[in-house]
Amino acid sequence: MTWFFARRIGEAVVLVIAVTMLTFALMSATSSTVARSIVGQTASAEVVAQKASELGLDKPFAERYFVWLGGAIRGDFGASWFTNESVGSLLFAKVPVTISLVLATVLVSAVVSVVVGVTAAIRRGGWVDRILQVVALAGFAFPSFVVALLLVLVFAVQLGWFPAIGFVPLTESPQLWLSSIVLPVTALAIQVVAATSQQVRGSMLDVLESDYIRTLRSRGTSPSSLYLRHALRSAAPPALTVLGLQSIALIGGTVIIEKVFGMLGLGTAIVGASSQGDLPIVMGVVSVMVLIIIAINLLLDLAYAWLNPKVRVA
Amino acid sequence: MHDESARGRAARPSRSAKVVLSAATAGAVLLTSAACTGAGGGNSAGEDTTLTIAAAAGLGFDLADQQPGWFEQYLQPVYDSLFRISPDGEVGPNVATEWEYDDSLTALTIDIRTDIEFSDGESLDADAVKANIEHTRTGASTTASQLQNVEDVEVVDADTVVLHLSAPDPSLLPNLGMTAGMLASPAAIEAGGLKTTPVGSGPYTLDTAGTTEGSQYTYVRNPDYWNPDDYPYDRFVIKVLTDNNAILNALRTGQIDAGPLGSAKDSKTASDAGLNVINYPNGDLEALYFYDKTGTTTPALADVRVRQAINYALDRDAIVKAGYGDLATPTMQMFSITRDDGIFDPALDEVYPYDPDKARELLAEAGYPDGFDVVMPDWSGYAPEVNAAINQNLADVGIRVTPDTMPLEQLYGNTLQGGYAMGWQPYEDNRPWDLIQFQLKPDAPWNPFHYEDPQVTELISKIQAASGDEQTALFKELNRYLVETAWSAPINATVFNYATSAEVVATPQAFAKRPPLYNFAPAD
Repeated sequence: MTWFFARRIGEAVVLVIAVTMLTFALMSATSSTVARSIVGQTASAEVVAQKASELGLDKPFAERYFVWLGGAIRGDFGASWFTNESVGSLLFAKVPVTISLVLATVLVSAVVSVVVGVTAAIRRGGWVDRILQVVALAGFAFPSFVVALLLVLVFAVQLGWFPAIGFVPLTESPQLWLSSIVLPVTALAIQVVAATSQQVRGSMLDVLESDYIRTLRSRGTSPSSLYLRHALRSAAPPALTVLGLQSIALIGGTVIIEKVFGMLGLGTAIVGASSQGDLPIVMGVVSVMVLIIIAINLLLDLAYAWLNPKVRVA
Repeated sequence: MHDESARGRAARPSRSAKVVLSAATAGAVLLTSAACTGAGGGNSAGEDTTLTIAAAAGLGFDLADQQPGWFEQYLQPVYDSLFRISPDGEVGPNVATEWEYDDSLTALTIDIRTDIEFSDGESLDADAVKANIEHTRTGASTTASQLQNVEDVEVVDADTVVLHLSAPDPSLLPNLGMTAGMLASPAAIEAGGLKTTPVGSGPYTLDTAGTTEGSQYTYVRNPDYWNPDDYPYDRFVIKVLTDNNAILNALRTGQIDAGPLGSAKDSKTASDAGLNVINYPNGDLEALYFYDKTGTTTPALADVRVRQAINYALDRDAIVKAGYGDLATPTMQMFSITRDDGIFDPALDEVYPYDPDKARELLAEAGYPDGFDVVMPDWSGYAPEVNAAINQNLADVGIRVTPDTMPLEQLYGNTLQGGYAMGWQPYEDNRPWDLIQFQLKPDAPWNPFHYEDPQVTELISKIQAASGDEQTALFKELNRYLVETAWSAPINATVFNYATSAEVVATPQAFAKRPPLYNFAPAD
């Protein structure tokens, strides 16, 4: 197990350096107009040049990258070129937003997908199965931002049940935190459930045809134990893979939902910073995203090992 | 054969089913309690009053880093400015009580109040004014460039300074009423922490406990402020929001009291929802600009007949209707389209009536009977109806436009580097003298091909040395000349849309993109 974690840490370091270096290179290639964007359209060429020099844009790429890397290792990601806010403070404020949305979406999606997928598999071919499949397909058809706009109009603007904008940290108020994420998580979960429930259904159908399930059934094992304790455990890994991929996509994919609900998470941060050319923010957010994705992959591996003891993590 | 014990077990829910049922019940309770927290803001009777607005992210609090016009709402709570600008754009007293230019217009004497302290206890005196102007001037920013003509700040006594200018600057006084004239504590300037921690003498101080950088900024009343009557709210909160739908929804649910709207359609939605809506031109201009009047890349534009032809080709009424409905005013002139200051001339808006036949005739006279090809920046992502209408008008007279599509920030950069011979764009800050600085002079940033017209240069020189009615008459003469020589093809004044809740009123200010803090008040 020690060797497993050591190898994973080594892979993470290589991945972070590779991704950040590539990102830095791409951002540097498009940074010729960032000084103008910062000082405004009416600034003179001299002012623009002064700002470019302040930002170090006249220095070689390698020097700039390794200065950034050295600072990042020490925990200093610099400050936004536009707002002067500390990137560290920004990450501290925005990571909880994205983590809340992603974790809550994954949890809700996992529960709903299991219920929907298992029910559809058990009632295969029946009207319940057909309805659930149609609903799942509808989930694919509706873009999440359309769902989000409808949810906010109905449940926030018309009914006033939930806030239209804003994120309340869990540490500030668990109840308000929950209230602030219900609508965005619902919007995000629909497509995740659509994908994952179908996977659960398909895997369950395969497992339910297997010999050991027939054996358990013949021994009088209760249906709930048969389906939830035995069959689902075997059917889980493929569904877990789909859920894992969806959760990775959610890390940056929440940007439109964040904008609709005025929640400033990592998605809006990186989209805004990328279009402006705000290099320090882009680098900070990318670094954090890579680490989160590495953590998700690690959790997936551990989950596989728990579900199937035959899988060795070393 | 049935197993009696199995039948007995089947009669009770299994452990798995109990878990599922318990989880479902807990989820329903959680969801209901979350819904019951509801939405909305507002103040209860007896509580401190709070004004909450939406705004895009600011530029920090260091005055040397600012762009005037967009981000004052972050700064006005904590910093006083030397002058106060009226809704009509007139300069009035604030920290400065009296001011006077000398005969050469290069020495501005300012007397200031003597009863103001910064929030760190430092006195706001003449030395503080000197320290601020010298600090702000050093930045790499548009605000800094507004002080470029200030050569030296002389402290005469504790409440008098003289700004010595290298040349007359007709925009200096109004600029000192905005970010260029804002005042921070000299000790804080010296300490270097202003970017994140403002220390001023303003009506509020930044509440760090209620502030999350990049997300929400909370300001609480400064109990020692010298002019509390102008600021009726006890707390002022800025929520950083960039999505127009999110802002509109937050207004409708009462989570914010004021915020900018994205479009004329949003204005209608806001009005229908019972919000107060103000649509105001702040002096910005939208025009088809002819950057390459030198003819370097597009020889046609060097011919005044071609430029006049383009003016005739544009159906301004239709373009404005398509983009803004009834909310914008078409125009053919660059100056003061929103102010009654004697420069704007209604007769000049009759010079180029929509006449494609006349346009084709002029093009043929100039040697372009079949029109010509031109690459223009693609603004369809920002103003799709306007962009499409302009391109169609040009196509109708034989000018074939190839749109160049790229992100907005790169459009500006490419334009300023001479990447386009002509192009439509909204142009900021249309104070007459600023327009000259930024567009008309040969070295102006928005004159990328450095075109010079001797008549324009002569008029600019006379304007700079004049004042009062004489200066106004010269501006008027320049305005006429620019229209008649088709310096560009102005289309309309930019319209800004802003909404407040029914309990709040906001008054726009000339040349400000957003209403200043001192122009917000309870509706009653």
